[in-house]
Amino acid sequence: MELEEIQRIIKTVVKDYLEAQDNYLDITSETVLFGDNTVLDSIGLVNIVIDLESTFLDKGYEISLTSDVAMSRRQSPFRNISTLADFIYEQLNEQ
Amino acid sequence: MNNNDRVIVITGTRKGIGRFLAEYYLAQNMIVCGCSRSACDLDNPKYIHYELDVADEKSVEKMVFDIFKRFRKIDFLVNNAGIASMNHSLLTPLSVVEKVFKTNVMGTFVFCREVAKVMTKNKFGRIVNFATIATPIKLEGESIYAASKAAVENMTKLLAKEYADFGITINAVGPTPVYTDLIKNVPKNKIDSLLQTQAIHRYGTFEDIVNVIDFFLEDKSNFITGQIIYLGGVSS
Repeated sequence: MELEEIQRIIKTVVKDYLEAQDNYLDITSETVLFGDNTVLDSIGLVNIVIDLESTFLDKGYEISLTSDVAMSRRQSPFRNISTLADFIYEQLNEQ
Repeated sequence: MNNNDRVIVITGTRKGIGRFLAEYYLAQNMIVCGCSRSACDLDNPKYIHYELDVADEKSVEKMVFDIFKRFRKIDFLVNNAGIASMNHSLLTPLSVVEKVFKTNVMGTFVFCREVAKVMTKNKFGRIVNFATIATPIKLEGESIYAASKAAVENMTKLLAKEYADFGITINAVGPTPVYTDLIKNVPKNKIDSLLQTQAIHRYGTFEDIVNVIDFFLEDKSNFITGQIIYLGGVSS
C-alpha cells in the first residue's frame, strides 16, 4: 500500500471520529494526534488506534499499533498523521 | 437473554472449568471461541478452537483478528486459562514464577486488551477474569499463584475504570478449591484445613462458578464492574 493511501485512510478515520463529536476541523498531514495541541482527548486517541487497526484489517492488512516498537520510539509515531502514516507504512513493508 | 448471535471467547477450553464453560455456553446457543496450547476434541458447529499460548501476544492478536473478521464483534470474554504452582516459596525457582505470571497475568492482560478493542466497536462487552480465594486468605504454599491472581484482581479493578467509557464491564470470580486436576495431588489434610477457612466448608463446583459468571454477563449487570466475588463465603 502506498504512503498517500495510508495517509488518506488515517485522515478519514480521524475526521469521522471528530465529526461524531461535532468537531469539523480541517484534517491535514500535520494534524497533531498526541501531546500538546492535539485534536484528540486520550479516549479519542484510543478510539483512533482501534478504528485504524480494524480499517486496515478489513483491507486485508494486520497491523498492531500497540507494539513495543510503537511505544518505545523516542519520537512517538502518534505525533501527527504524517508520522503515524510513516510508521504504518514501515509495518506493512515488514510483512 | 437471546444468545443466538452472542459471541463468547473463553481461554483454556481443552479441559477442566474452561471445557465445562465452553459446553455450557454452547448449550445456550452462543458462538464459542476457545483456545488452549494443544488441540481440543470439542466438536460442535458453533465452536472454534485456536491452538495458542495465551501469553504469546502475536498469536492472541491473530486469534482476535480472526474472530473479528468472522463475526464483527465479541460480546463476552472469560479469561479462564491459568496455571497454579503449589510449592514452598523457598523451593520455587524463578522459571516457575515467570511461567505463572506469563500465563495468569500477561495472558489475561493481552486478551483483555485485544478483545476490549473489538468490544469498543459495539460499545458493549463483558469480561470475567479468574481470581482465587488463595489471595485473600494468604494461603501458604501458593505465594506465586496468589500473587499472580492478586495482580489480576488489581488489574480488573483498574481496567473497570479504563473500559467503562466504552460500555465494557470487567469483573472477577474467585473460586474455592474445585476438585479438578489442579489439586488432585494436594494432601487431603491440606485441603480440609483450607475448606475450614471458608464460611461454607465444601468444595466448589463448576456450577458455582458458572452462576457468578452468568451474573456478570447478564444484560442487567451493566452497573456491576470492578468487582471480585469470592465463593464459599471468603471475604477480602
